[in-house]
Amino acid sequence: MTGHNAPMLSLWLGAYDQGLAYASLALGTYLTLRVLNFADLTVDGSFALGGGTAAMLITQGVPIPFALLAALVLGSLAGTVTALIHTKLGVNDLFAGILTTTGLYTITLRVMGRSNIPITDLNPVINLPDFGMGDDGRWALALTVVVLGLIGLIALFLATDFGLALRAIGNNPTMARANAIHQGLGLTIGIAAANALVALSGALVTMYQGFADVTMGIGSLILGLGMVIIGESVLRPASIRKALLAVVVGAILFRLLIAIALQLGLEPVDLKLTTAVLLLVAMSLGHIKLPGVNASALADGPEAAVPPQDEDQSAGTAQSADTAQSAGIAKARGPASSGEQP
Amino acid sequence: MSLRVDKLCWGHPVPGGGWRQLFANFDFQSPTSEFTVVIGSNGSGKSTFLNLLAGTLRSGSGSIRLDDQPLQQLPDHRRARRIGRVMQNPLEGTSPGLTIAENLRLAEGRRRNVIGWHGLRGIHPNQADRRRYRELLEQLGLPLADRIDTLVGQLSGGQRQTISLVMATLGHPQLLLLDEHTAALDPKAEAMVMDLTDRLVQQLGTTTLMVTHSLSQALRYGDRLVMLHEGRILGDWNARERQHLTPDVLREMYGAARVRQTN
Repeated sequence: MTGHNAPMLSLWLGAYDQGLAYASLALGTYLTLRVLNFADLTVDGSFALGGGTAAMLITQGVPIPFALLAALVLGSLAGTVTALIHTKLGVNDLFAGILTTTGLYTITLRVMGRSNIPITDLNPVINLPDFGMGDDGRWALALTVVVLGLIGLIALFLATDFGLALRAIGNNPTMARANAIHQGLGLTIGIAAANALVALSGALVTMYQGFADVTMGIGSLILGLGMVIIGESVLRPASIRKALLAVVVGAILFRLLIAIALQLGLEPVDLKLTTAVLLLVAMSLGHIKLPGVNASALADGPEAAVPPQDEDQSAGTAQSADTAQSAGIAKARGPASSGEQP
Repeated sequence: MSLRVDKLCWGHPVPGGGWRQLFANFDFQSPTSEFTVVIGSNGSGKSTFLNLLAGTLRSGSGSIRLDDQPLQQLPDHRRARRIGRVMQNPLEGTSPGLTIAENLRLAEGRRRNVIGWHGLRGIHPNQADRRRYRELLEQLGLPLADRIDTLVGQLSGGQRQTISLVMATLGHPQLLLLDEHTAALDPKAEAMVMDLTDRLVQQLGTTTLMVTHSLSQALRYGDRLVMLHEGRILGDWNARERQHLTPDVLREMYGAARVRQTN
């Protein structure tokens, strides 16, 4: 390693590590937003809750695995609260999430005892081999193992009947109901699992950056969504397994873009605005992507050549690829059947 | 008695602050494996009746019993285990983002509690499941047998309705509800879906209620024809009695009922 490319390598490795620390947030967001089709703002609260809990426990001398486990448990509880507010009390998904997040701010502060906790000593990580790259190398190894494990677990879960049922709930609630899927319970477990992942991410980020702050969760949902969309736009995954991988790649790419911007002289004060602009670009890319998805879906269906003129009655459940079909229905409802109406 | 409805009452508020009592002490019985076709003009209560049976609408009072077990106290998902349903809109019965095999798997697991430990036993649909679905579709003479890994969202309306129908009959439902399930289809798809409906109902022997607007379907399919008007049974014919009916006679009955109502 020469003196010249050492900063470059550290930039790459740092972005890789941070991306992996945030990958769990992106995976959680993927679960709620993409699988369950539930806009879950609890994410902002549970990210800080996970970070704060881990920081508090680690500074108290609790071993890191237990601190991470505590973050997972508290995150899943936060998710459960939002899900119950939504399913049992009928509160709209966005409001349910905002309610929980607002309450969580106090809870996180209570757990932490103060608004900022620095962590100076993280010895367990030091036992790992560093491949001659210092702490960043050790982090890279530890996080790669953790994130690959998470991808494997989630992929396995989503391939079971349980996972299939959760996908159906997000994809078409009417169909899920008609097929005897317990939607309330499914949503609750799915949202709890997603927030456990998010809280884990908060804990990992806290450990990596060396401190927890009660405000660290602000913008987490949008951050996670941005990572999901960047990954999907770049890799265009065709299966769930590839989508999970794409989400993680999206997280790393996103952190890399931020690192490059900082390297080019961006001031840390401007970071949030830059992040927002970056996400806007990513989301509009995602938006532009949609017609492409439609076109490929239409190319396969024989009836799909019908141009989507009017969407009529089917609007309720129509998914993006369905516009052509609903137009077909509008056409079929013509004189042929009305002649027989009494 | 397989399906037994006693003293069912249901009404809804009308704009302007009134109340319309659609069903008042409505009784209906259907023996096991009877295929009943229900007709009636708009607002006669035929779709409402199916919704009350399925549980998407909750009744004010009265009892609905399926094989002597009361249905109304069951939560939605437990009730849906016993009822197969095909809705009018082909987009409602299937999940477009899942493949044909995945949709069939969910329908087949209707009786299992998939949100729980039962749902975590192994990866599905696996090779054996997919072979079984291919055979099922082949046996039913459907050209979709070699496309079970296609996303349902890529199928036409008629094909999606076919899959909805097959799904509704999987998992041993005790009652099959068909709510104008061919109304959104073109004539060719309609004929195909009706032919499949007839074969599936004969083959499975499930108690079936089919609501339709098509008088030609009403005079052709099923063991029994029931005409609803304003939440009451206006006519009830078995297959033999039905032979003497014509579309004109049925239309005349609709008209007469409407006249009586306005006077």
